[in-house]
Amino acid sequence: MNPSENMNVVSVAEGELGLSSPAATFEEPASVLRRLAKDHKISIVSAIIIVLFVLGAIFAPVLTPYEYDSINLSDRLAAPSLAHLFGTDEGGRDILTRMLYGSRVSLVIGIVPTLLSVVVGTFIGMVAGYHGGKVDTVIMRVADIVMSFPTMLLAMVVMYTLGGGTANVFLTMVLVGWAAIARVVRAETLKLKESEYVEAARIIGVRQARVILRHILPNCLPTVIVLFTLEIPSSILTESSLSFLGMGVQPPSASWGLMVSAGREFLYHAPWLCFAPCLAIMAIVLAFNYLGDGLRDVLDPHLQSQ
Amino acid sequence: MDRRTFIKSAFAAPLCGLLLQGCSSQTDRAKRGRLTTATGSDMSTMDMAHNDSVYWAQLNIFDRLFETRMVNGKATVVNSLCADYDVSDDGLTYDFTLREGVLFSNGDPLTSSDVRYSFCRLLTEAAVNTDIPLQVLGGQALMDKKTDKLEGFIIKDDTHFSIVLETPNGGFIAQLSSAAMSIVNECVTRAAKNFGKDPSETIGSGPYYVAEWVPNDHFTLRYNERYWGEEPTVKESIQRVIPDASTRDLMFQNGEIDIIDLSGIDSLIVQRSYKVEHADQIVYNQQIGMNYLALNETNEFLKDVHVRKAICMAIDVDDIIHNLMSDDAIRQNGIIPTGAWGHNENLEAPPFDPDGARALLAEAGYDNGDVSFEMALPSDGPRLLYETVSNQLSKVGINANIRVYDKAAWMEKRRAGEMESFITVWMLDYNDPANIMAVFFGSPERAKNRSICYPNTDVMARVSAAQSIVDDEARKREYQELERKIVVEDHAWIPLYQGMRLFCIGDRVESFTPFWAGYGDFYVKDVVLRKEARA
Amino acid sequence: MRGSVAQGVLRRLLYALIAIVGVAALVFVLLRMVPGNPVATLLGEHADNETVERISSSLGLDQPLPVQFANYLLGALRGDFGESYTLGKPVSELIGPAFVNTLWLALAAALVAWVVGIACGLFAAIRKGTIVDRLFMGFSLLGVSLPVFMVSMLLQYVFARYLHWLPVAGISDWTGYILPAIALGWGSAGSIARLVRSSIIEVLQQDYIDTARAKGRTNSQVLVLHALRNAMLPVITLMAMQFSGLLSGAVITETVFSINGIGRLSVQAIAGRDIPLLQGTTLLCTFVIVMGNLAADLLYNVCDPRVRKGA
Repeated sequence: MNPSENMNVVSVAEGELGLSSPAATFEEPASVLRRLAKDHKISIVSAIIIVLFVLGAIFAPVLTPYEYDSINLSDRLAAPSLAHLFGTDEGGRDILTRMLYGSRVSLVIGIVPTLLSVVVGTFIGMVAGYHGGKVDTVIMRVADIVMSFPTMLLAMVVMYTLGGGTANVFLTMVLVGWAAIARVVRAETLKLKESEYVEAARIIGVRQARVILRHILPNCLPTVIVLFTLEIPSSILTESSLSFLGMGVQPPSASWGLMVSAGREFLYHAPWLCFAPCLAIMAIVLAFNYLGDGLRDVLDPHLQSQ
Repeated sequence: MDRRTFIKSAFAAPLCGLLLQGCSSQTDRAKRGRLTTATGSDMSTMDMAHNDSVYWAQLNIFDRLFETRMVNGKATVVNSLCADYDVSDDGLTYDFTLREGVLFSNGDPLTSSDVRYSFCRLLTEAAVNTDIPLQVLGGQALMDKKTDKLEGFIIKDDTHFSIVLETPNGGFIAQLSSAAMSIVNECVTRAAKNFGKDPSETIGSGPYYVAEWVPNDHFTLRYNERYWGEEPTVKESIQRVIPDASTRDLMFQNGEIDIIDLSGIDSLIVQRSYKVEHADQIVYNQQIGMNYLALNETNEFLKDVHVRKAICMAIDVDDIIHNLMSDDAIRQNGIIPTGAWGHNENLEAPPFDPDGARALLAEAGYDNGDVSFEMALPSDGPRLLYETVSNQLSKVGINANIRVYDKAAWMEKRRAGEMESFITVWMLDYNDPANIMAVFFGSPERAKNRSICYPNTDVMARVSAAQSIVDDEARKREYQELERKIVVEDHAWIPLYQGMRLFCIGDRVESFTPFWAGYGDFYVKDVVLRKEARA
Repeated sequence: MRGSVAQGVLRRLLYALIAIVGVAALVFVLLRMVPGNPVATLLGEHADNETVERISSSLGLDQPLPVQFANYLLGALRGDFGESYTLGKPVSELIGPAFVNTLWLALAAALVAWVVGIACGLFAAIRKGTIVDRLFMGFSLLGVSLPVFMVSMLLQYVFARYLHWLPVAGISDWTGYILPAIALGWGSAGSIARLVRSSIIEVLQQDYIDTARAKGRTNSQVLVLHALRNAMLPVITLMAMQFSGLLSGAVITETVFSINGIGRLSVQAIAGRDIPLLQGTTLLCTFVIVMGNLAADLLYNVCDPRVRKGA
């Protein structure tokens, strides 16, 4: 049978049955924003902070006259001044510059691997939940193994095996992160599977992939978006912790965690090395957490009690 | 009252007054006669047959026939357990007389047999530190288990014995002062199940015995009442394992440790804080060791002597010493470091000259950016030094790309002779040029194991043979000539600097003499506590 | 019904076992994929080539991988986890005392987390929507948002370096636990507070609370007798899971405060490529987490009548 033909048949059937999936009622971004602005002003502030950081990361070369990786031994550990607003580090590099460039690494590591693990986790969770049976058992056992591994230790072992570096941090975060998402999505899928319209769609012979894509996925989406927002800060924290232990991003790349780690040696004698990156980590993580909280209240109130 | 003190007292008074006031005088009393120090990592064992990197236990529990001590600012080999010795004219036979009346910490007397056992044990264990006893006649046969006796070790009576060497070695007595040649109690060690790990089975004649060892946490030494030498003021030493230099720094500032090794702390911080706030408490010592840049001559660019010389001229060692080391280092031009026997004052390195370096590269047919190689940085290595050197080289158009390796992978790569370049430090174990020249240039295998891959086999054969020259002056001349050939003509070794080892002593310590070679480890007996801190 | 509960427990135990063996195999394979010889690191700069080879073969490192794994598993069954390369002692002797230190730290941190978390959550819920609510929740969110190393460093700086109240690092006596416990516990306190708050708010909206109020109970009686009791179920589950997390997740705290616990031991094992030691610590942590999750599940089953009936 021609697939496109098949699709037509199904949509007709769905239309006839009056099966409009609740995906249709999924809120427009604008309305979400309005509701956030009404009840969760702090979320809006958070969103603005995040945008500012993103802009800073993108326009780093324009915003600062210094290079982030060139050593200047005669200007080591200079205290904050007009020339160097946040001072210089042990190699005489401008901290503000390194922080701006570091925000590229930290934001990308906060967002990209999280997105990947959310995509992977959602897919696996939906398949496991929808399929049930052996597939479900195997997937969930693997997820169990991943989740019974202490996160930091697993990340450390994987980073150690792969060696430090940004790409490997990505991989590590996905390897560690997908399982928790898969679990939540699987639970959601199990619930949706029981719902009338999914059952009806199955009865009339809609293909599995289509049911998942058209009915399950859109309904999981609010949950997934909230999970995504709330996972970003924990990714940023994991990266900074890994880098702090010297197992994450490698110099001369800069990341906030790395800067704090390098600055720790100087905490008591040149505290400005730690001050700015610490503040940045705190601000961005708080911002994402507040935004995530707001989104959760607006999109998916029932997640709150989980 | 300034704001700080106000805040301090406002908080401190109610909470702390209650808790801590009462016990502070008590802890001061308990600390009498005690020295607290901190180290970055614990040792794996106190057994010198299995540990050749951390000598804290060996230096303080055991004695050797000789010790290298600082006498009037010069490292000098002095008698220790050996009261007297004599060398035959061919340089092969040494006759020793042991000091009378030496007892081990368990009360057993020291005899020639204990010395022989200590030599043999290194060979039969066949782990590390085998190179010194291997020189004794029949050493190889014992290590290969072809015999169970060390042929060249002849006992005459309880306090007299002779050692016959395979080939003459002018540095032999200096080698006997290395911590590896510590003398153990034969009777206890033979019966021991866990020598080097179980304190009750690890018995020496040194000033201290091990009172407690909690691995990875702390290591406690206590004064050995039977010690034959002068009684030290430190009666108990606790060394705590504190991996982070910054934490050690903080603990020192907080009075929790009495001596801090400043080598883990950035030199600028040392200059700005320690040298200001504790100016008269800084104790320093040259590290008898060499920081060098190794270039692998199997690399397509580095095999060209022009390139090696250009690299040498492009590195601004004085900038590094001044700005990175805060002048706590001495520029080096050779292989044998300052303070070591055989060091050559008159060796001259090519001057720092970026333009000359660029011209040299052009002469050899290389354009800007043509020469490119990898500098392998071990994960715990001196990153900033690497970045600085790489930066300086880039200014003459050489790309030295830093790549970080896990320590084990780094070692493996270097051992295979595949590492293109690296910077590291070599510290001397005993005060003789053989301990550095022969290690790197003693044979083609050794040059390969150090990833230097020096191709001149004639020079290497001469380095190896130099050790057997009995006449000290002649031996020194030969080493210096070879050194000049390797460094000044071939540029096969890029010397950088020799570091200083700085320590800061706390208020409870009156004086302290670091170990001659500038190790972080030292003789606890060389610490003198102030009167009020003594037991 | 009893049978089904027993079956459920058995099945969970089986899953736990699978997870533990899976982790063991994973760590074993991963660690051996890394190039480089651990012996070379161990012996350091001064060892020559022959020495490295001699010692590698004496440690059995020249044998094929499956043989090494089989040897390891056989040993593990007898309680022999091998000998640490870097510290030269049997792994079991090293992780024993380290686990005790970690356990005390985790208990202290849990105490902080539970007391602070429940108190914050409770007050925030009672004063929902007021400035008190915002403050307490902001405080907990800050705990969740701050990296542990940051809190640790700040505490060290203020209370040890500046005020000299408490030791900087190490645990020579109980005072050494105070700062690390706060650093470690604050984050957990944050999530507990958030959960307590939302659970109590939910419970307070239920009918039986109104009934209780109607029966003339005072507000505080209602809170303690009904709301808190009923809200505690998910909180207890979270606490059980968190505790096992604390036991295994103290890597950074232990590193910064130089506490000889499982976390710091793991970091050292990685730095020194001490495979037997790392294997020992990861296995122990996995065991603790799996058991913690199991306990949380069972606790949930025992406490919640709905789950009990449903199963």
